[in-house]
Amino acid sequence: MSFEIPIGPQHPIHVEPLMLRLSVEGELIVDVDVDVSYIHRGIEKALEVRPYIQGLYLVERICGICNAAHSLCYCLNVEQLLGKEAPPRAKYLRIVVEELSRIHSHLLWLGHYFHTLGFETLFMYFWRDRERVMDMLELITGNRVTTAYNTIGGVRRDLTPEVEQKLRRTLDYIEERMRYYEKVIDSEPTILARTQGVGILKPSDAVRLGVVGPHLRASGIKHDVRLDDPYSGHDEIPFNVITWDTCDCYARVKVRVKEVHECVNMIRYALDHMPSGDYRLKIPPFFKAPPGESLSRVEAPRGELVHYSISDGSDRPYRYRVRTPTLANLLSVVEMLKSRDGYEVYIADVPAILGGIDPCICCSARVVVADEARRRRTVMTLDDIIRISRDRGVERR
Amino acid sequence: MSEEDILRKITERFGERVLEAKILGRRRISILVSPDAYKDAVKYVAHDLELEFLSCLSGVDRGDSLEVVAHLGFSTQVLIKTRIPKDNPVIDSITDVLPAANLYEREAHDLLGIVFRGHPNLRRVFLPEDWPKGIYPLRKDYAPEHPKPLRGGESG
Repeated sequence: MSFEIPIGPQHPIHVEPLMLRLSVEGELIVDVDVDVSYIHRGIEKALEVRPYIQGLYLVERICGICNAAHSLCYCLNVEQLLGKEAPPRAKYLRIVVEELSRIHSHLLWLGHYFHTLGFETLFMYFWRDRERVMDMLELITGNRVTTAYNTIGGVRRDLTPEVEQKLRRTLDYIEERMRYYEKVIDSEPTILARTQGVGILKPSDAVRLGVVGPHLRASGIKHDVRLDDPYSGHDEIPFNVITWDTCDCYARVKVRVKEVHECVNMIRYALDHMPSGDYRLKIPPFFKAPPGESLSRVEAPRGELVHYSISDGSDRPYRYRVRTPTLANLLSVVEMLKSRDGYEVYIADVPAILGGIDPCICCSARVVVADEARRRRTVMTLDDIIRISRDRGVERR
Repeated sequence: MSEEDILRKITERFGERVLEAKILGRRRISILVSPDAYKDAVKYVAHDLELEFLSCLSGVDRGDSLEVVAHLGFSTQVLIKTRIPKDNPVIDSITDVLPAANLYEREAHDLLGIVFRGHPNLRRVFLPEDWPKGIYPLRKDYAPEHPKPLRGGESG
């Protein structure tokens, strides 16, 4: 006899709307259904009716945390269509901001992940340090969250020597803090108990299910777009691709912690070897792209991001396709949450496993009403909710 | 394997059924095949050429036809494309070859109305349950209406 437990669309383990319907037998999860329909904002359609330059502003808003990766991917895509390439200095500046936002995203994730495991102190620590990175992003780009740094043909601002000094000091601070956190993570029994052996995803399954990013590398597969398909001068910058072969939630924590060190080293290298010259090409704001298609890939903090566009020769894309990393990783959640022979998943593991992929989901409109007495489930639309709340309001008056 | 090698191997293997093959740029290959060769081509690239990683699957409205694009490969990306008529948009599902296609095929079904034959669970994925049947927002004939005001017609 199995019961169904709904987790979401709003639930403390995750701030964004995602619905997991768990079928449980006792404490064991036997089946899972994921519903992500609360988030679709029609951005692909909206991009088809905007000139390229306006699309840039829209694309940045697909995801607040990965905004630098999205805008970079978009710019690379349009530059490829135009047959242009950003100047060398712009490439290095793009790497600086890309890696800074990866540090900020990983710190945010680590903090949030330990928060979902109930380790509030570490959450506070990580987010305090993340604030230093956010300050640096603001200093370099002019904006704290939606950086608006990349533009078609380069970047919007140059890096001044004063800002560079401050950035180097922040990197030293972050590096020292990460060494401390690594020690905490390796020695804290609560973290080890909650993450080791939880949410196993075998390397073969990870590839089969198209998993991307740190989540894939935590299953021991050495794939990183920056290495396999360098897009912004990454072939000139030395860095290690971090993998971990325990394939569990602990591996996902370790990979991200170690990646922060790599980011710090990459930024230092980029600053040391910063080419001189222009930081952007002069491209008029409104232009027509030649007919053709282009595909750009960027290693976003959460994994491989794919932008694919088709141009028909007009001033706006004929079709613009965006594949975000979380969509690629969702299938693996279902796989990891199901108990199989010799692999048991308990309800208490759900936050650890779901959090492990660093899910990013936005915008909600509807709720599910479960009618247990009649074993019926209806999904209410926004109109229904408004109608009911109005009727209730009338009753009370 | 260079781009030319991959291109040559696929065109040799599928001959007539390859309608168009070109190199888009570094590490980018585009191959348009006839619908009956689509699944075989995906299988060949994934297993024989060992590019067993589906990074994306896109649907495109091409006017009279709908196009399905499978993006394969870790480093070099091979785009396997096929075109199916709009009035009968049925194509073989590749979920049994590459399970990663599951959500992407559901997405293309939801937003473009492409029917994937043999998909284990071809349900809606993004659109609301009360979305009218037969209206596919990513098709070119669909023009979005202005958003409805939340408070019945008032300015709010």
